[in-house]
Amino acid sequence: MDIQEFIENFAAQFDETDEALFTADTNFKQLDEWSSLTALSIIAMVDDEYNVIIKGSDIINSETISDLYDVVEKKRS
Amino acid sequence: MSQLTINNVRIVGMSACVPATVEDNLTLPIYKDENDARKVIASTGIERHHKVDENTTASDLTVAAFERLLQDLGWDSQEVDCFAYVCTSRDYIAPQTACVLQDRLNLRNDCCVFDLPFGCSGWVYGMSIVSSLMSHGTFKRAILVAAETNTRNRNPRDTAVRPLFGDAATVTALEFSTENSRPMNFMFGVDGKGYDAVWAPYGGIRNPVTPEALEEKEVSPGVFRRGIDMIVNGMDVFGFAIKQPPHSLKELIGTFNIDVETVDLLLLHQANKFIDEKIRKAVGIPAEKTPYCLEEYGNVTSASIPLTMVTRCGEKLSGNELHCIACGFGVGLAWASMEFYAGGVKISDLVTY
Repeated sequence: MDIQEFIENFAAQFDETDEALFTADTNFKQLDEWSSLTALSIIAMVDDEYNVIIKGSDIINSETISDLYDVVEKKRS
Repeated sequence: MSQLTINNVRIVGMSACVPATVEDNLTLPIYKDENDARKVIASTGIERHHKVDENTTASDLTVAAFERLLQDLGWDSQEVDCFAYVCTSRDYIAPQTACVLQDRLNLRNDCCVFDLPFGCSGWVYGMSIVSSLMSHGTFKRAILVAAETNTRNRNPRDTAVRPLFGDAATVTALEFSTENSRPMNFMFGVDGKGYDAVWAPYGGIRNPVTPEALEEKEVSPGVFRRGIDMIVNGMDVFGFAIKQPPHSLKELIGTFNIDVETVDLLLLHQANKFIDEKIRKAVGIPAEKTPYCLEEYGNVTSASIPLTMVTRCGEKLSGNELHCIACGFGVGLAWASMEFYAGGVKISDLVTY
């Protein structure tokens, strides 16, 4: 897995947020555009791209994009 | 794998009843503006749903749909040998609602009646159970109800569920017939680890109703619930729903050597458009063979597959025999898929209560 690619896939689920705001350390739930619907898009993206189903608690317990990346990587191994 | 093949039973009629009151998502008071509402409508595909008043139960809707179908079929209620009631919003804690309905519907005292407290997988499970009982050959006519008043067991101030769920009752009439009946095939699945993905924690024996369970609390911003209300953990249900139903349908297709090209109808539990489209694409069925009624009625849990058949496929199902596959999935977590053929089915006009 590649964190840069993960960040790009993550950013692609947003319509209005500036791409530059997405880094490994982004507190994604603090973004104005973040909503429960975005969360569903992220779950679908992770399923499509990484063939892993993350749970609601995985998103709730992750602060940054990097935290979520770690969850996905752990589930894949 | 738990698989099942049932012979000599066919669907002969279907009807549905929805409450007259319509709640439009665009104007729900839970959104800060219409733009907010539009986003939810765009991603779920659900524009509105029908909602019962506080004096109406799922069994009331059932009576209306049942009477209409029997009239259209020319059946006498005394001819019904078996009556199954799929519903989780039961009239009373005890007895089973099916017992009360025996009297209301004028069914025989020796009729075999029972409740099946399934959620979204309920119509498919119900079809397997009732058809299986009928396949012995002594029950000639049976009724399968799938009904729910989702707006009454969920909190209207729970923004996570109010735009999604609606109320409806459906009635499916089945007949034993050794002629012109093709086999029905079923696959089942369950994952009890996900029991709290969709659940009502209070009101059973584990957590009885206490004064505290009746207090409304703001569990997250804008989401109010009481302990007795149904909780839908959207993210976990979503993760389950985009994975397990496609797997189940592929299992069905593989196990029973179904040629997907010959499938005329893919009938999905109407969860939301986003989920259902992912399932449809994963199974490889064209859009024109996958009817939806969720835009108008929302997610009506166990009633959603038969409501889709009644409101969207009436003409098709009354004509030549169609090759159908269906998948119900949800609370449990439980799911079931089936293959069946249907044609010449009497479909009643939608009844409004």
